[in-house]
Amino acid sequence: MFTNKIFKLFFLSALFCASLFSYPQISQDIKDKKIYPIGEKIYKSKCSNIDTAKFKTYDALVSSLESKKSCGDLNKNHLQALSLYLWDVKRHNSKIYPKLTVTNKDKCQVCGMFLHHYPTWVSRINYPNGETYNFDGMKCMFKFYFNNKEGIKDILVQDYYTLKTINARDAYFVVGSDVYGPMGHELVPFKDKKSATTFSLEHKGKKVYSFDEVTEHMVRSLGM
Amino acid sequence: MKLQNIWFVVLACKVNLYILEYSIKYIFRDKYKNIFIVIVMSLLVALLAATLFISNSMKAKYNSIIDNYPDIVITNQKALRDSTIDENEIDKVLTLKGVTSVVARVWGHYYFLNADKKFLILGRDEFETYFNPLLNQKMNINKESMLVSKDVKKILNDNYYKKYFNFIKSDGMIEKVKIQNTLDLDTSVKNPLLIIMNKDLAKNIFQYKNSEVTDLAVSVANKNEIAFIATKIKILFPNARITIKDDLRVHYENIYNLRSGFFLTIFIITFFTFFIIIYDKVSGLNSEQRQEIGILKALGWRVSDVLNAKLYEGSIISLLSYILGISFALIYVYVFNAPYLKDMFLNNYNLLPDFKIAFTMDYETLALLFFLSVPIYIAATIIPSWRVATLEADEVMR
Repeated sequence: MFTNKIFKLFFLSALFCASLFSYPQISQDIKDKKIYPIGEKIYKSKCSNIDTAKFKTYDALVSSLESKKSCGDLNKNHLQALSLYLWDVKRHNSKIYPKLTVTNKDKCQVCGMFLHHYPTWVSRINYPNGETYNFDGMKCMFKFYFNNKEGIKDILVQDYYTLKTINARDAYFVVGSDVYGPMGHELVPFKDKKSATTFSLEHKGKKVYSFDEVTEHMVRSLGM
Repeated sequence: MKLQNIWFVVLACKVNLYILEYSIKYIFRDKYKNIFIVIVMSLLVALLAATLFISNSMKAKYNSIIDNYPDIVITNQKALRDSTIDENEIDKVLTLKGVTSVVARVWGHYYFLNADKKFLILGRDEFETYFNPLLNQKMNINKESMLVSKDVKKILNDNYYKKYFNFIKSDGMIEKVKIQNTLDLDTSVKNPLLIIMNKDLAKNIFQYKNSEVTDLAVSVANKNEIAFIATKIKILFPNARITIKDDLRVHYENIYNLRSGFFLTIFIITFFTFFIIIYDKVSGLNSEQRQEIGILKALGWRVSDVLNAKLYEGSIISLLSYILGISFALIYVYVFNAPYLKDMFLNNYNLLPDFKIAFTMDYETLALLFFLSVPIYIAATIIPSWRVATLEADEVMR
C-alpha cells in the first residue's frame, strides 16, 4: 500500500518535472508571428552569445537559461519566447534571402516596365557570375526562365502573404485568382502549399501548381 | 546658316541697357501708382502662398500621423461603446494568413484635474515592436517610472510634482510613479501631452484586469490584402470596430476637404482681384501714355524697342512683387507660425492641438503662383502698348 503511494508520488513528480520545461504545443503561425520576434529582440538586447549546439534537449536549454540567468531576469512568457527562438530559429540557422529591393531606374528584363511601382511583385534571377535580372511579375520571370534555363544560380520570388523572399523552386503558384499583378493575370507565389490553397479558396483561384508543374504554354495562355 | 541663327538669338536675348534704364525711369516717374501695384500684388501672392503653405504642411502632417498608424486596429465594443479586449484574442488573429504581427496595445487618457489637462498615456513592453517609432526607441524605464514629454513636465512642475506624480485610480487609490526622464518630441507627434510607461504599470493605472488591453494593432505585410483581412477579422469579431488605415486617411481627408472649400473661396476672390487689375491695364492706355509711345516712335524707336521697354517694366514690377510676396508668406508662415490664418484650418474637434507648422518647401505652389502672376502681368503691360505701337506716330498723337 505504502510503496504504491510512493510510486504514485514519484510518478506524478516525474510527470510534473517533465511538463515544466517541455516543448510547448503552440501553432506554427503564432510562433512565427508573435513568439520568435519577441525572442529575437530579447536575445539581441539582453543576451551574451549563447551556444545553442551545446544543449541536447529543449528542457536543458530552458533550465540553463533559468538557472544561469545569462539573459537577466525574465518573466515566464519572455523566457519561453527566448528559448523557443533559440531552439527553433537560432539553432537551425536556415538560409534567409535578403529582401528584393529595386531602385527607381530598374526595369523588367522582359517587358521593360519600371519595377518600383509594384514592389510586391518583383522577382529576380541570379547567375553564378554575379549577373542579376529583375522582373515585374512571375509571368515575365517564367518567360525568361523557359528561354534561358541553363546555368541559373537561383530564382527568387516574394511570398504573397508575408513578402518574404523565397526560392521559386520551392514555391507554389496559384493561377486564375482575382488578384492581378502589374501585367494582368498572374501566377501568385507562396512559400507553402497550405497558404497557396488558402489563398486559392479565398481569391477564387483555379489551380495550385508547384514550380516544376508550370509550363510555358500555361504562362503564355495568361496573356502578354 | 546655323551659326547666323545662333548669333541672331544671342543678339535678341541681349538686354538693351539703355532701354532698361528708360523703363526704370518710367517706373519711378509714376512712383506712387507703381508702388501701389507692387504692394497689392505682393499681398495677393502672399495671401495665396500662405494658405497653400499651411494647407500643404498640414497635409504632410496628417500623412505622417497616419503613416505611424497600424494597418488594422481591432477595438472591442460593448453597447456600441469602445471597451477593452482580451489579450489572448491575438492568437485567433495570428492564424489568419497574411497577418504579419499583432500587438496588444495599452493606451488611454488621464485627466489631471488641477491643471485641467488631458494626458495621453502609452503603455509599452520592451520586447514588442510597435508601429509608432517613438515606442520602439531604447528607453531606460522600469516598472515604477515613466517618461514624460516636455509639455507634461512643465505642467507637472507647475503643480509641484518634481520627482514623481500621483495617479488617482478609479478605485480611489493612488499610484505613485517616478518621473524618469523627459522626451524630445518631433513635430510629427499628434498629441504633445504624452506619457510613456511600462505596459503593466499603465494597466494598473487604468485598472485593467489581468489580460485586458485597449485594442489590438494588426500589421499586414502585403498592403493589397488589408481590406480582405479586415473583412475576415470582422467575421472573427462581429462585435468589434475594425479601423483600416485607408479609412482613416479618407476620414482625415474629409475633414480637411471641408476646409479646402474655404481655401477655394480665398483663392477665387484673390484671383478675381488680380484679374480686375489686369483688366484695367489691358482695356487701354490713357492719352498721356499713348502720346508718349507716339513721341518715342517719332524719335525713331522701332516697335520692338517699345515692346522691350514695356517687357522690362512689366518684369521688374511683377518679379519684384512675386519675390516680395513669397518671402512675406514664408516669414509669416514658418517664422511667425501663421497667427490668425492658422486658426481657420483648425476646427473645434481640436484634431491637432498646439499645431506647429513644419517647414516643407513646396515647389509646386511656388511654380503655380509664378505662372499665374508674372507672365500674366507682363502680357497685360505689353499687349495694350503693342496695339498703340503698331499704329503710325501721327495717328497716335492726334
